Amino acid sequence: MPSTVCTAKTSYKKLPGLLELTSTHLQWTQDGKKASLVKVPHSEAVSLFCSKEGAAQVRLKVAVVGDDAGHNFTFTSPQPVALAEREKFKNELTNIIARNRTASATPAATAPGTPSALARSTSLAPRGTSSPARNAVSRAASASSDSRGTPVANDPTSDFRLRKKVLLGNPELASLHRELVMGGHISENEFWEGREHLLLAQAAAESQKRGKPGQLVDPRPQTVDGEIKIVITPQLVHDIFEEYPVVAKAYNDNVPNKLSEAEFWKRYFQSKLFNAHRASIRSSAAQHVVKDDPIFDKYLEKDDDDLEPRRLRDESVDIFIDLGATQEDHGETGNIKDVTMQAGKQRAVLPLIRKFNEHSERLLNTTLGEPATKRRRTDVAEGPDHYSQIDLEDLHDNQSTTGIILNMQDRERYFDGRSADPLGSQAASEKFDFRSTLQEVKISLQDWSTSLNRLKLDRKAGDEALNGMTQNVAARLEVKRTKHDIPENLFRQMTTCQTAANEFLRQFWLSIYPPVIDGQTVSTATPAQKAAKAAKMIDYLSRTHEKVDALVQTAQQEGVDPARVHVAMKPVLDAVDNALDFWRKRNSKPLR
Amino acid sequence: MDKASHLSVVIDLSPTQWHLCSQSSNPYPLTLQSFLSQLLAFFNSHIACKDENTLAVFGAFPGKSVLLYSSTTIAAEEHSVNADANTYRPFKVLDSTIMGSIRNQLEALELLEAEAPIGLVGAITKSLCYINRLTIPSSSTTPAEEKQAPLDPRILIFSVSPDQSPSYIPIMNSIFSAQKLKVTIDVCKIYGPDSVFLQQAAHLTGGSYLHLNRPDAVLQYLTMSFLPPPGIRQLLSVPTQDKIDFRAACFCHKKIVDIGFVCSVCLSIFCNPVPVCSTCR
Repeated sequence: MPSTVCTAKTSYKKLPGLLELTSTHLQWTQDGKKASLVKVPHSEAVSLFCSKEGAAQVRLKVAVVGDDAGHNFTFTSPQPVALAEREKFKNELTNIIARNRTASATPAATAPGTPSALARSTSLAPRGTSSPARNAVSRAASASSDSRGTPVANDPTSDFRLRKKVLLGNPELASLHRELVMGGHISENEFWEGREHLLLAQAAAESQKRGKPGQLVDPRPQTVDGEIKIVITPQLVHDIFEEYPVVAKAYNDNVPNKLSEAEFWKRYFQSKLFNAHRASIRSSAAQHVVKDDPIFDKYLEKDDDDLEPRRLRDESVDIFIDLGATQEDHGETGNIKDVTMQAGKQRAVLPLIRKFNEHSERLLNTTLGEPATKRRRTDVAEGPDHYSQIDLEDLHDNQSTTGIILNMQDRERYFDGRSADPLGSQAASEKFDFRSTLQEVKISLQDWSTSLNRLKLDRKAGDEALNGMTQNVAARLEVKRTKHDIPENLFRQMTTCQTAANEFLRQFWLSIYPPVIDGQTVSTATPAQKAAKAAKMIDYLSRTHEKVDALVQTAQQEGVDPARVHVAMKPVLDAVDNALDFWRKRNSKPLR
Repeated sequence: MDKASHLSVVIDLSPTQWHLCSQSSNPYPLTLQSFLSQLLAFFNSHIACKDENTLAVFGAFPGKSVLLYSSTTIAAEEHSVNADANTYRPFKVLDSTIMGSIRNQLEALELLEAEAPIGLVGAITKSLCYINRLTIPSSSTTPAEEKQAPLDPRILIFSVSPDQSPSYIPIMNSIFSAQKLKVTIDVCKIYGPDSVFLQQAAHLTGGSYLHLNRPDAVLQYLTMSFLPPPGIRQLLSVPTQDKIDFRAACFCHKKIVDIGFVCSVCLSIFCNPVPVCSTCR
């Protein structure tokens, strides 16, 4: 039984009940009932909305994965108690949601509002700025990474979802799918048989965990009804505290003794401190609204624009990227000092650059681990190991590689060109006595000199040979020269016919040649099913000729040379005939 | 043709196949005698194109392959050739050397009871070795000799025998060596069905594969298609095959297969799926 974190009397859908937050779920039970009507796992909580302070009803709304509408709870206790209760829920849920967000990285741009002094909005509607599609993606990602450890798509719903995704990402496959599956030629499962790798790749890509979003915390004012507002959410507060510890310090010092929370944020956003924290030069536009503030100015730090950054990086710089490491080599005789890469040339941008650097460092540290562990790694690599670092494999002379020796069993038989295997032509040639043919050849060799002197090519034969070769060359030149001028419509029909026939061929051969390697075998079809499928495919394939004939007729109507369509479709027809032949031979065998 | 060019020729001299080729039941029969006359004319024109042009002729006989002639060994035999007022002497030397060696080799064949498979692969391999020796001069040669190493080496194969599927692996290996040596392989199919392996050889080395429609006019084909060295072909547009049979022979039964199963480790080809590759285990 999970332990209960907090409880409160609330109403849900106008029914009185008890809202509970346990260590795993948020649940609501109607009064007098045992089973919970609403049960939301922590991992599914996406965002949180509260009614504004001082409103008639104290409400809390939790949006969950896959349902933006979420659940609305109204706290039914008397005002002060209800407020306290809600505050508690809010704090707990904010933490949970923040955890979810770092795990699944729902776009940080979601900015739903808790009421603040600046945002006088009473709206409870989410102010989501992220597009629905993106939401769906990240939600799916979090769902699949949470619910299943392995990305094997076994259950039909996620399989369907994956297939849809693969098709969306691959228009050519989608059109083939439309043609064959929606056209009722082959079933959905048949279509995907042999394409499982696409689904697996998609599933793997989705289950990849996203890291922390790299965006700098930069609350942007929005203009609502002519007033400039910044909407504050519990998440934003969390982010600001994380990014700027000094604000957290100020908050702890002043709230709620000296300032109320609303007052705190109001003053913060107007203070120089906030202005210093802004992520871009745009802040200069807002300069005139900045006021002196006795409380916040205390926390103001000097602009970090000295040549030496205020916060010195405590790690030793890798010797290979340290520009100063070779300074002593550039004496009077060496190169001139670099003029393009002088640190702090433009003083004004220094704080910004340093802010970016610090932010990036923080971001990297969350993924790579703390710098302490990192340094230990480089410490180990120091010393004699420097050489091994510059000893790049790509620079090695690869001429001398010996290659991998193939251990062949019984290798003699591969080199034995004259195996006992009877030659296909031997049967025919046995009719001729070897000795007599040899004799004949020898006779023809005698008197070669006179024969050479009398050498005369038959003119007709020569002309024919010449024509043949000229045609060969001309045909190839023709192909290079002719432009693509088949009408769009006909061309599309040809392409469709070709891809469809290819798909049928693929299905046909797939059912004929079963992949025997076990373990990975995905096809569960029985031999009978396979035979039935092959027969079905042959049925389709046998109609390919009619289809091509129809295309040729269309071509005639469109004024395109039908021969060109013939040439274009010839390879497909050849392949189809091959399959048909194979089928005929195979089927005639068992009858005998 | 400002560069010297080297031509290695492999002649398929299977008595049976030539017998079949010369049958008058063929639409355009070609006797060996007539073929050799036309071939000698082609050799002479190759030599005549440029002083520095070199030639090596290999004969593929049943069960063996022999170097019949090469420009570098000519000096020793020159004296034994009678002068002929009607023929340019180098031509005469070339022609009589080739014809003499063919005759000698055929004489040696008398001992055989039945015709062995043709030694085509051996001839191709020998010609590759010969070219390798020309292109990579040994350390003993002087720099002056080095300069004469012919560029643009190529091999021209005259084929009358059908494919022997057992020789698939050696042929493929020769093709790969030819690619590495940058040797172009041309194929002139005079008689018989199209050769799968030789088509691939020509395609993979950038040569041209020509199946003669009129074998009796072979000299016409030779001068038009195979006289210019590969360097000039780009400007000349030489006829070739536009459809190539890429089928392979399986390693297990040496059959030419449409659908094969390939070992993912050593790329051996099998006609039936096997659980364990017999080549690399």
